[in-house]
Amino acid sequence: MEKMKNWATIAVFALLIFGLVIAHVIIPDATHSLSERRELSKFPAITADSVFSGDWGTDFEEYLLDHFPGRDGFRTVKAILRYKLLAQKDNNKVFLVGDGIFKMEYPLNENQVVYAAQKFNWIYEKYLQGMRVFYSVIPDKNYFAAAQNGYPALDYDRLYQLMNDNVQNMTYADIRDCLTLSDFYRTDTHWRQECLGKVMEVLAKTMGFSDLLLSMDSFEQHKLSPFKGVYYGQAAMPLKADDLVYLTHSLMANAQTSVQMQEGFPIYATDKFEGMDGYDVFLSGAQSFVEITNPDALTDKELIIFRDSFGSSIAPLFVPYYAKVTLVDIRYTPSSMLDKNIEFADQDVLFLYSTLVLNNGMVLK
Amino acid sequence: MLFSSVTFLYVFLPVVLVAYLLVPKKAKNHVLLAASLFFYFFGEPVYVSLLIISSLSDFFHSLAIEKCRGTKKAKWLLISSLCVNLAMLGFFKYIDFFIVTFNGLTGLAIPTLNVPLPIGISFFTFQTMSYTIDVYRGNVRAQKNLATMGTFVSLFPQLVAGPIVRYSDIAEELEHREHHLQNVADGIRRFVYGLGKKVLIANAMGELCALFRSSPDQSVLFYWLYAIAFTLQIYFDFSGYSDMAIGLGKMFGFNFPENFDHPYTSRSVTEFWRRWHMTMGGWFRDYVYIPLDGNRCSKWKWLRNILVVWMVTGFWHGAAWNFVLWGLMFGILLLVEKLWLGKWLEKAGNVLPRIYLMFTVIISFVVFNASSLPGVWQDLKGMFGGLNIPLVSAEAVYQLKNFALPIMLAVLGSTFLPNRLVDKIRTVKAGNAIVTVLEPVSIVVLMVLVTACLVDGSFNPFLYFRF
Repeated sequence: MEKMKNWATIAVFALLIFGLVIAHVIIPDATHSLSERRELSKFPAITADSVFSGDWGTDFEEYLLDHFPGRDGFRTVKAILRYKLLAQKDNNKVFLVGDGIFKMEYPLNENQVVYAAQKFNWIYEKYLQGMRVFYSVIPDKNYFAAAQNGYPALDYDRLYQLMNDNVQNMTYADIRDCLTLSDFYRTDTHWRQECLGKVMEVLAKTMGFSDLLLSMDSFEQHKLSPFKGVYYGQAAMPLKADDLVYLTHSLMANAQTSVQMQEGFPIYATDKFEGMDGYDVFLSGAQSFVEITNPDALTDKELIIFRDSFGSSIAPLFVPYYAKVTLVDIRYTPSSMLDKNIEFADQDVLFLYSTLVLNNGMVLK
Repeated sequence: MLFSSVTFLYVFLPVVLVAYLLVPKKAKNHVLLAASLFFYFFGEPVYVSLLIISSLSDFFHSLAIEKCRGTKKAKWLLISSLCVNLAMLGFFKYIDFFIVTFNGLTGLAIPTLNVPLPIGISFFTFQTMSYTIDVYRGNVRAQKNLATMGTFVSLFPQLVAGPIVRYSDIAEELEHREHHLQNVADGIRRFVYGLGKKVLIANAMGELCALFRSSPDQSVLFYWLYAIAFTLQIYFDFSGYSDMAIGLGKMFGFNFPENFDHPYTSRSVTEFWRRWHMTMGGWFRDYVYIPLDGNRCSKWKWLRNILVVWMVTGFWHGAAWNFVLWGLMFGILLLVEKLWLGKWLEKAGNVLPRIYLMFTVIISFVVFNASSLPGVWQDLKGMFGGLNIPLVSAEAVYQLKNFALPIMLAVLGSTFLPNRLVDKIRTVKAGNAIVTVLEPVSIVVLMVLVTACLVDGSFNPFLYFRF
């Protein structure tokens, strides 16, 4: 019996260490990880410099980890170990409430929030004086679930107070009461476009076009599924995916979109749904400049939206009301050079940022 | 290279095992030597030269000492050998500490050299010094084969973080060792359990410590949570490494000395140091304390000897004053126990002495892990309400809940309870059969869990590499 046990111990150990190394050699290396939305590392080049500096060893370990056989399965095992076996409340700061996935954003970085507010003021002073300028702050979905379920959360009241105390010359639209947890994707950080009716009502009222506001029922819904949001891969748990719904309207049918000054893009880039980030369907994802011109708009007014990724999904809902909607993402382009691409005149301007970006405000250039 | 890395587990170890199995008996040391040098080179490509210099120095010094045995020349050769090792250790580990201290005393501003600390230098210099001293004392014969000597010094299982294996511990096995099924299986079990201790428990505790350090939401509760977590982390980290080293040694036919024996179950500081880092304690006893005359001298000299040994022990752990303070703290506590407290502790039952010991140990590791002497003061003030921070903070409560089960498992795992439970089950025939079947299963489960944690990129550095 003892002898058999010893043989079994040696056999399983050998099977594991030799089996996995052989599998690693046999299985071809992938270039991307869909679950983590990133490029995987390549086999590091062996140079005298890299070897003698010790960098090669570090890079090789990273390469092995990136291409480890059954990598996603092992990540799931780790997640189950944390959540189920060790009863831990988060795994890599990702936590689950019901079937929703959340990522901890904590603590409040007051200096970064103030920096963001001051950046808005600087842009106003440089480009927007005399124009109709509005701002709103999108609560991230932790606002609705983190503290309520015992997780560390931002001091949201303080964040909103800091913004209101520091942002000047802009009219504030409070949209906190327009949203609930179900208005966000379960597996992603973002809000659902089809759930933004109340948000549009508040923004339309603040910006003065509520008399034109179309019923959300007048928009046609198009569903793409399964949508595995940004947190899905991070959670590494076998959870239900979302559906991604985007809205079209007859008043948007002839709209033309240009991205980074290049024309010919659709508002909804459905071909990107199967890519690294399904949310890139909305206005082709992260872009510093997007312009949507709409000959069928209900007014000939123009709108500039300073935005983060949440803006990609709400911007199409402004298209029926504005002849031109320009989206600017100053995370990717310096605000000091905006006048090279935008002619500031008498447009309406909306600063629309999520608490996630404001709490890391120094990403705004 | 870390034992808890996929490079080691799934590339280095399989390759070395195959090579070791394939070559004839007389070439096995050569395989181990080549593998060990590569192992060290992988992490310290430049400093591998120090390892080689240390090996060559002690090899030739010891041969010469043996030739001149009984003459004054032998003593000078020993001093010369010790100087080489201590000079390496002094320069690479302590030079910046000496410069900063000298600057502080004189008001000068001599620039520091920022010499990176070679991994494991404290361990391999101590091993080689003990070898030469033992040759000088006539306790062992000088090794005449350079490859065998090199294998002893560089043997990768214990090269970078102990146990501190003396030449006499494995002299016989370096020349003639047997490879038994039982030994290999025991080695695998010991290695995998050690790996589990390190990756599953120590890293989790390390994560909690890192969360504490980066949190702006400090409280007295959070300071204590950190202190307990670090106390558990350092035990599971270091004893896990020792288990892995001992296990690997067994796989290759060596029997390394034990290094830990459930130190947190001790009932006094004296007992604690008989159970914690035993090979280091033994080293300082045999090569510092006894040469200073140990306790076979006047009382005052004996007190001096204890304080000197513990100050040096602290200093061995790190080139900073908080390590010296840590060592002195234990020296003083040992004296207090030997002179007064020890007798009371023996009669005080099981609970109070253990509370005293754990309180002492937790405080000591807070001193140990502080960034500096002001850092020690800051952390101790935080633990005892001297920082004007709340007793409880939201994040401390969250992390307490988050790590409650891992902490409980770690506390239980640091006691005799798991071993006793298994032994108890084994006394029943059916229980014995179940344990026998479950042992290989536990290897698979632990390896999968450890690999999962590594692949997920968890917190990973070994604490004792910096010493």
